[in-house]
Amino acid sequence: MARPAVLAPAAARRVRLWLAAAAAAAFLLVWPLLVEDAFFTHMATLVLLYSIGAASLHLVVRIGHLSLCHAAFLGLGGYASALLTTRLGWPFLPAFVASGLVPAAVALVLGPILLRLRGVYFVLITYSFGELVRLVFVEWQSLTGGSDGIFRIPPPHPALLTSRAYYYFALAMAALCVGFVARLLASPAGRFIDAIRESERLARSSGVPVLRFKVMVFALACGLVGLQGSLLAHFIHYVSPGAYGFAESLNFLVINVIGGMGSLAGPLVGTVFLVSLPELLRGWVQYQRLLYGVVLMAVILYVPGGLAGIGKRTLELIPGLRRSRP
Amino acid sequence: MNTLGRIAGSAALALAVAAAVTVARAEELKIGAVGPLSGGGTDWGLALQRGVTVAMDEINAAGGVKVGATAYTLKMIMYDDQYTAQGGTTAATRLVNSDGVKFILGSVGSPPALGVIAVTGPAKVIALTDGYSPKILNPDSKYTFRIQIPTEYFAPGIARWLRKTYPQAKKVGLISPNDAVGQSLAPIHVAAYKDAGFETVSNDLFDRGMTDFTPLITRMMSRGADVFELDGNAPGDAGLMVKQARQLGYKGVIIQTGGPGVDEVIRVAGPFAEGFLTYDLFDPTEKAVQGFVSQYHAKFEGPINGLSPIWYNATKLLAEALRRAGSLDTDKVRDALEHLDGFPSLLGPVKWDGLERYGVRHQLVHSFFVSEVKNGKVVPVTKVGGAS
Amino acid sequence: MSLSLLVPILFNGIGISAIYVLIALGFTLIFGIMRVVNFAHGEFAMLGGFALLFLYHRLGIPYWIALPVGALVVGAAGLLAEQFLFRPLYGQELQGMIASLGLSVALSEAAVILFDVYQRNIPTPFSAVIEIGGFPLPQDRLIVLAVAVAALAGFWLFVRYTRIGLALRTVAQDREMAEAQGIDARATYRVTFFLAATLAALGGELFAQIYALSPYMGATPLGKAFTIVIIGGLGSVPGAALGGILLGMSESFLNTFYGASLAQFASFGAIILLLILRPWGLLGRPEV
Repeated sequence: MARPAVLAPAAARRVRLWLAAAAAAAFLLVWPLLVEDAFFTHMATLVLLYSIGAASLHLVVRIGHLSLCHAAFLGLGGYASALLTTRLGWPFLPAFVASGLVPAAVALVLGPILLRLRGVYFVLITYSFGELVRLVFVEWQSLTGGSDGIFRIPPPHPALLTSRAYYYFALAMAALCVGFVARLLASPAGRFIDAIRESERLARSSGVPVLRFKVMVFALACGLVGLQGSLLAHFIHYVSPGAYGFAESLNFLVINVIGGMGSLAGPLVGTVFLVSLPELLRGWVQYQRLLYGVVLMAVILYVPGGLAGIGKRTLELIPGLRRSRP
Repeated sequence: MNTLGRIAGSAALALAVAAAVTVARAEELKIGAVGPLSGGGTDWGLALQRGVTVAMDEINAAGGVKVGATAYTLKMIMYDDQYTAQGGTTAATRLVNSDGVKFILGSVGSPPALGVIAVTGPAKVIALTDGYSPKILNPDSKYTFRIQIPTEYFAPGIARWLRKTYPQAKKVGLISPNDAVGQSLAPIHVAAYKDAGFETVSNDLFDRGMTDFTPLITRMMSRGADVFELDGNAPGDAGLMVKQARQLGYKGVIIQTGGPGVDEVIRVAGPFAEGFLTYDLFDPTEKAVQGFVSQYHAKFEGPINGLSPIWYNATKLLAEALRRAGSLDTDKVRDALEHLDGFPSLLGPVKWDGLERYGVRHQLVHSFFVSEVKNGKVVPVTKVGGAS
Repeated sequence: MSLSLLVPILFNGIGISAIYVLIALGFTLIFGIMRVVNFAHGEFAMLGGFALLFLYHRLGIPYWIALPVGALVVGAAGLLAEQFLFRPLYGQELQGMIASLGLSVALSEAAVILFDVYQRNIPTPFSAVIEIGGFPLPQDRLIVLAVAVAALAGFWLFVRYTRIGLALRTVAQDREMAEAQGIDARATYRVTFFLAATLAALGGELFAQIYALSPYMGATPLGKAFTIVIIGGLGSVPGAALGGILLGMSESFLNTFYGASLAQFASFGAIILLLILRPWGLLGRPEV
């Protein structure tokens, strides 16, 4: 009797995961074509773009720091791209690259100073720094246009004027950026990141300069969110200081906490939830923000692992995806 | 709801006397509204919502808007833009795409207004908007109308009136919020005062959130200012400035060429508001306005934010344009709007302007007042014509 | 720089400092003793303001009764927050912070729904302007200053000379040792929260009288509290007092002579420098 050709359980599981991923990818690619309403593609595009910033903040969280100035770097990228395209007439691609380099450079310079602080002190200094940057955006009127902001920012390409077209562009960009973060976290560098967070002293004993490494990761994270800034600017066609303040930084943080800080899935889930939540609650305009606050408290109290934690447990209930126990 | 209405209407028609009389059917027309309903700009968003509500209730009680053969009941669908450009764009996108509206009232303030018209322009949706940024109206603004005069229209007239009425006053002190309003408007005031023969000795910006203006006021006083100009300050901040200035012993003129939000100033400053001058939009004693004021107070508590009459007015203009166009086609309604000159409205006979300044004649011009607080009441002191 | 400028600057500076210190004090207490960054602290102040409006203005209760009662009511409400929101999260700094943020949003938006969004003023019984040495000093500011100073003095006496005060200080220094000595840390936390919320509410009541009251007014005092507590040192009570005075006076000076933007820049710049060079503030203790 021939043995049935059955894959080993681990391999079978991996095949099922790939199938699930392929199905998800297919869905992401196809659904905008089936939906007429541009509003949904608009929202989905925002979700995709914000996932970049949320994932990049996750990197900072993984090295054990909580930054309250992430929106400042979003703004640096947004303004860089806006100014280079509208004032200097640069084409989109070099402006886009610059929008990643400028915040990364700033982070590289300031990182050694900022990252020496830990815990609450890091939160406080990033809060102050974020406010300072926002003040600069507002005050340096000759450069930034002040509170008025910068208008008529061109799309990356004339074909990208509709929500649907931009959606695919954003999907590609988000896949690249988030994919990059995922690869980084899965690599030996990623393991070192976790080692630093868990015990900095121990990590130091390995001989790798810890502070310098943290600064590199921090600069990477700030560069990534700068890229998001550029993509947003060319989507909304307008930048202003109001979009880059404390509230926005807090949003990124809350996305990470509610989504779950343990893995990259957290910020992704968190972004979907929190960027679309105000839209879901639009029916009750007055109560919308009230619900937001209540939901925030409820999630913190009763769902400590974040939404991704729930998701993981739910997924594990699906036979075939569960890791086989010895 | 619409389908049901149609069925009911058709049945009514069928049952009606088979004479050559056309029976008007009742249908609902959705009008979009966008404004800040959370965060710092909430006063204005609420003012918009309330002004539009008063107008719509009034119109609907009188049988709705008759567009061609159909009488439409107006229904407002309003979304919060959180006073950001992104919020304005999202709200407008939802209104245009999900709710299918063709007419939008809003937003209030330049960032969300610009966000809204970025969507409505290409979609050929009519937007009646209010924001001081000069970028709102330009030769491409085919479907955008601004329904309140911006500072460059009313500042010169008020400065001239001030010069005439207070011949001894010479020096102006300005305190403005450090945002789009403050940064672009302060220079307009300085220029207007200069033209009227004043010298601006102090021009300070503060970050929104500041409540203790005494240092800035002291600064201004030490430079000899005898006219304290409050620019486009939020009503609450303006009230605090009035109170603090008087408490510091400032004896000169206090005027707000902007806002208006004088009811709230009185609430915040109490007896110190006596003598406060302000740009105002209507004479509360005029007969036509009483209707609006009493309707407002019948529905809503609290002081009337000065923007409510503006939006009440805008809604009435839109309704009239719909009636004249006889159709829901936005090109026809736009043309009807453009030809509304002379139509009597809450703010006086309609007049459009802006061809020279912006390249498109979509700026509503209306007369305005300077009012003074006397014995705790707002009393118009002079009426200024609306032309630039 | 003439005297006529100096006196108003000093007076304004002290007045606003006192209010900020009241609010910052509670904030630093909560952090120092429970390691919780309470983003909702500004809302306690705001609730205090509304409590006074309700008791004094709406119900007509005499001012000198409404003032303490209003503050105590909000203090009691603070106990509810401590029990249901913060207690389950002690030890998790980040989660506590985010929870307090949710509370902050919920409280301010609930206030908008209940009280409408516009700013209003609490008409005080003291609207006279008193001339002292030729300088006009508003009576309400004098009263507010007096109340604030009295409250702070009372608090200091309490912490210094009562048993509960001693317990507070001991737990702040070292919780485990305190518990080993038989001090009930949990009860101490409750007392701390109650005191902090009451002080903040009092600060809000005073603030609402000379400035304006609105559901969103909590954000400004909270920002100031952050700054004060960084300058003075997280968890240090005298630090909060010192930080409050420094902030109030320097803001008054800088705003008068250089305008508001420079004052803001200086403020943030100073904070950043302090955090880099001396993160435990002027009077805090360096943490290991």
